[in-house]
Amino acid sequence: MIENRPWLKMFSHFILVFGVLIIALPVWVALVGSTQPEGSFNSGSVPLWFGDHGVQNWAHVLFAEAGSTLQIPVWHLLLNSLIMALGITIGKIAISIISAYAIVFFRFPFRGAIFWVIFMTLMLPVEVRIVPTYQVIANLNMLNSYSGLILPLIASATATFLFRQCFMSIPGELVEAARIDGAGPIRFFFDILLPMSRTNIAAMFVIMFIYGWNQYLWPLIITTDDTYYTLVMSIKSMLSVPDGDIQWNYVMVTTLLAMLPPVAVVVGMQKLFVKGLVDAEK
Amino acid sequence: MTDLVLKNIGKTYPNGYQAIPSIDLVIEEGEFIVLVGPSGCGKSTLLRMVAGLETITQGDLLIKGNRVNDKEPADRDIAMVFQNYALYPHMTVRANMEYGLKNRGVPKEERQAKVTDVANMLGLDELLDRRPGQLSGGQRQRVAMGRAMVRDPKVFLFDEPLSNLDAKLRVQMRVEIRQLQRKLATTTLYVTHDQVEAMTLADRLVVLNKGKAEQIGTPMELYDKPATTFVAEFIGSPSMNLFDAMMTEEGIVLSDKTRLPMSHAHRGSVIWGIRPEHLQQSDEANADFSLQVQAVESLGAETLIHGLLEDGSGQPKPMVIRLAGPHLPEIGSYMWLIAPAKHWHLFDAVTQQRL
Repeated sequence: MIENRPWLKMFSHFILVFGVLIIALPVWVALVGSTQPEGSFNSGSVPLWFGDHGVQNWAHVLFAEAGSTLQIPVWHLLLNSLIMALGITIGKIAISIISAYAIVFFRFPFRGAIFWVIFMTLMLPVEVRIVPTYQVIANLNMLNSYSGLILPLIASATATFLFRQCFMSIPGELVEAARIDGAGPIRFFFDILLPMSRTNIAAMFVIMFIYGWNQYLWPLIITTDDTYYTLVMSIKSMLSVPDGDIQWNYVMVTTLLAMLPPVAVVVGMQKLFVKGLVDAEK
Repeated sequence: MTDLVLKNIGKTYPNGYQAIPSIDLVIEEGEFIVLVGPSGCGKSTLLRMVAGLETITQGDLLIKGNRVNDKEPADRDIAMVFQNYALYPHMTVRANMEYGLKNRGVPKEERQAKVTDVANMLGLDELLDRRPGQLSGGQRQRVAMGRAMVRDPKVFLFDEPLSNLDAKLRVQMRVEIRQLQRKLATTTLYVTHDQVEAMTLADRLVVLNKGKAEQIGTPMELYDKPATTFVAEFIGSPSMNLFDAMMTEEGIVLSDKTRLPMSHAHRGSVIWGIRPEHLQQSDEANADFSLQVQAVESLGAETLIHGLLEDGSGQPKPMVIRLAGPHLPEIGSYMWLIAPAKHWHLFDAVTQQRL
């Protein structure tokens, strides 16, 4: 649709700029706030321009301690979050790509039923099954451990479903050609299937990484030792301090740090991500 | 020496549908066999059974004397070219061609030598480092053939390999496939629904209809002596004119008006046929019958005339004739025709078999 009406153009731009401002303003406030001296938020006004404590604040939070209630530097929280998010992402992709492979390419009894059972677990996210899952993890002595953080979250019906759709679009002739070329199931998987679903894996990686990174409830429940705290859940604990004496400048630094890795992943994998979700060329 | 033997081969699907009741076929070394038939006749199923992609539920399949019914496709020493080429999209042309050899543990130098040889033969040298997505349809077709050839298999299987190409390229590739096959002298089984392709490529043709082999023979045998009305109609374009007729003492009675003298022991209902190219124009005195012209297709070198054979029953029957050179009869006018007796085909009206 090509139209040339200046007023319409201006109006559309106004809407877009307005939208960008609404989204960008809180980020701006966080960025500015992270450079303010302690207590500058307590006056009741929100600072809109940089203060002079930037380097000091960032260094303190990153390497000394995150706040008065968290005696642990943020780099450690960042590392915990990263381990958990990557663990969940890689685990989810590995498990779901293998199960999708089984469901699409192998004939075994109750194949359809198994797929639907997997599909139905979509209705059981962690939040729904949190009490029994906690019980299981507690009985397995996995509270306060990385495996406890990761394992309950790595089964994914969504990813299985997505890979299933992707595999089903691979032409049957290709599978047959591979059979004639002497590629067994394992070879076919590694030589043909994995390279061909490269973009889908990238798309899944982006989605699942953000999902894992943003986990809040589960880490909050199973970690009591702050060496296993994740970044996202720590922000909340930085806000619940006695007397409401919140160190906003430190909170803002932590918030920004929590935003960076997902942004980096999205920006870095954007091309593959879009290709994986949109591209039908097989 | 026989290369490929199909002994009483049949296929029944688990749901009870019988795709192929029973086929017997003995293929000599280096022969080019074309399986031809309309869609759904079981020709692809049969090919896939030979390849090992479909199970064989009955009979024996022998390659070089070994029964291979239960062998994996990779262990049958066959290579297949698919309709959609089925090239691995993420691999280069070289990797595509090498893949089968690599899986069989052929050492790298030998693989490369073979790929280079075949690429030379097919004119693919320049394209070895490209991916299938960067190739044209004809080039992909060549790569698919190259992939089959590097393996140096005992049997080539082609599943309608030319149907995705445009008309000009199809003719070119057809000639090329034939030349290559002659040169390599590899036994070949080729599936197509295109009878021109079938006639030009085959040493022997197998005409399939509903899973049954209607006739097996050289292209000219099938053209000159079709065993059934199905083969008669399928081979040749435009297809043979077939008419219901009666065989009596006087000869063949096409209708009250049209009688063709002939002596034959058979009596009763028959189907009489003649190919469009065997009908000749004549004057009224010598003519066997007359045709009312309905449509004229001028193709330059030849002219196809569609008309109605007036037989007095009030239900004129359509007939096609094919004349060399340009002709321009008026629509609605009558043409006088002779049907030379040596070109007649007679079939039993009930069994549809040649008499």
